[in-house]
Amino acid sequence: MASLMQTLKNSIPSWLTGRRLVIGLPYAWFLILAFLPVLIVLKISLSEMQSTAVSGMVSWQGAWPSIKLDVSSYLFLASDELYLATYLSSISYAFYTTVICLGLGYPFAYFMARAPKQWQALLVMLIMLPFWTSFLLRIYAWKTLLVNNGLINNALLAIGWIDSPIEILNTPFSLLIGMVYSYLPFMILPLYANLSKLDARYLEAAADLGCHPFKTFWLITVPLSKAGIVAGCMLVFIPAVGEYVIPELLGGPNTLMIGRVLWDEFFSNNDWPMAGAVTIVMLLLIMLPLAIYNKLQSEGRA
Amino acid sequence: MENTSTSALANEPLLRIEGVSKIYDGHIKAVDQITLNVASGEIFALLGGSGCGKSTLLRMLAGFETPSQGRIYLGGTDITDLAAYQRPINMMFQSYALFPHLSVSDNIAFGLRRDGMAKEAIAERVEAMLKLVQLSQYTKRKPHQLSGGQQQRVALARSIAKQPKLLLLDEPLGALDKKLRVSTQIELVNIIKEVGVTCVLVTHDQEEAMTMATRMAVMSAGSFLQVGSPKDIYQQPNSRQVADFIGSVNIFDGLVKQSPANSAQAQCIDVECADALLRVPSNQACHVDMAVGVAIRPEKMLLSHKKPSAKINHVGGVITEMTYFGAHTNYHVKLASGKVLQVQVQSHVDEDNADLSWGDQVYASWGDNAMVLLTQ
Repeated sequence: MASLMQTLKNSIPSWLTGRRLVIGLPYAWFLILAFLPVLIVLKISLSEMQSTAVSGMVSWQGAWPSIKLDVSSYLFLASDELYLATYLSSISYAFYTTVICLGLGYPFAYFMARAPKQWQALLVMLIMLPFWTSFLLRIYAWKTLLVNNGLINNALLAIGWIDSPIEILNTPFSLLIGMVYSYLPFMILPLYANLSKLDARYLEAAADLGCHPFKTFWLITVPLSKAGIVAGCMLVFIPAVGEYVIPELLGGPNTLMIGRVLWDEFFSNNDWPMAGAVTIVMLLLIMLPLAIYNKLQSEGRA
Repeated sequence: MENTSTSALANEPLLRIEGVSKIYDGHIKAVDQITLNVASGEIFALLGGSGCGKSTLLRMLAGFETPSQGRIYLGGTDITDLAAYQRPINMMFQSYALFPHLSVSDNIAFGLRRDGMAKEAIAERVEAMLKLVQLSQYTKRKPHQLSGGQQQRVALARSIAKQPKLLLLDEPLGALDKKLRVSTQIELVNIIKEVGVTCVLVTHDQEEAMTMATRMAVMSAGSFLQVGSPKDIYQQPNSRQVADFIGSVNIFDGLVKQSPANSAQAQCIDVECADALLRVPSNQACHVDMAVGVAIRPEKMLLSHKKPSAKINHVGGVITEMTYFGAHTNYHVKLASGKVLQVQVQSHVDEDNADLSWGDQVYASWGDNAMVLLTQ
């Protein structure tokens, strides 16, 4: 028995210690499920489209491999102003969504964190309640609320605020409603987690030093919840930039969002390298500012 | 309305607490009918165990809690209904509550900026405060980059920067380790005296209260048990609870015997205890067979092998424990009744009877004034 254990033990390579395994697993996860796919997309974006598949990148000429990089997709992306306009419009929709979510979510999270302890679990439940229903179903539900003869228009007509139905669906406004509605929980939850940990003694100390409660909010509460604000904004902004379903269902044909361009490139134009290029550029547009922000943050702390 | 003549104004204490109570949920009395005057320049300590109401009382002074009853006056002005940010009172918080996102100097300047003070004046004051607490080289640091003792000094500087009429200290040394505490106590008192600010401090540490305060109150269950100078409270506790709370004490339980009408002393009460008859100088009202206690501090007793000649005010027993502390030695003496007596003998005294040892039959005796009669 002992010799069996010994054999088993010897069969495990000596470098594979428990410590390395524990540290290695998340890295392996990241490499396989996040980094590798991005590399594949990068490779596709630099390939050439051949009928139903992309070309191989490496071809062999005798003993020498030749690597062929096709940057035509990127050149086209740069030359066509529609792409730039779509990026800008995606980012601005995501930006407005984030700002509105922050504006609505912050007071929400603030009062949740200040609510009696026994209510807080219930309030968190209520925030997460929509997740029990399918996301698609909820967006469709908004469609029926926002159409010309939908609930909202009918209600406004009934109380006499409007004479004829107003156009809400398929406008930037309806798109923002859908985006804010969908992403609000992702803003509230990190803010709540942060604000509920805020030590009330800081607020008392501010009051003690002659600070009016309103001013205390801006001078103490907001700066101390910065980590929550940043987390919430990232959780809303990043997925909002690439959002496809909400603009498709609520935005109408005239709202430009990069997610829909991606869909068109893949499934309508069957141009995988172009879709890959659009994705890579979008990734850079989002990641670069975040990387710079992170660097500034860590330098500021040192 | 009271008629405030000039002499009444002159006699007005800086802080006047009148019948203040704090009642939670309609019946839980955290603070019960407290009345107290604190004169300008005093360092007043509220001493008591946790839940005695001392912190609630302090928080009512700061304005974080509203009294259920009673009024609070500062310099003759009723401040009971003023919000915390409107009161000319500053507090040094337990574990300091320094703003973690602000530098040391910004923390100190925080209160000054709220007053709309001129920039140059603020910078000047902050510098003076930093110098006072000897932290001039740490202006740019954030609180988490400072040691516990340095944080404590920043907190002090922040709370006195606005030159408050009243300074509140909530367990000012509670977050420091024992060794640092002793040196900081003295430093803190020196700074408070230098600034000349009146002070109310809350502590559960009797040593801290005794060394820092000019006057103190021992609190229990929302009420004051005794108010007086540290010396008065130590020497003349008015109840078992106070005697027990402040320092160590031996309490003999007994019954009052017939008053010694023909005693040499004018006012004496004889107490019959299990181990001895004690004749206690006291002018308290007592009746025969009343159950009372007699408190004697361990350091006021003497130990000897020889039986004292007098018939009263000594007990005999066996040494069961002795602990040498260098400056003094603590003895445990087991009496005939089973009661264990604590006796503390200073080392220089002890040299005379260095042969005291475990198992020895000894006699503990004390002077008349060492005894305090406790009727409650």
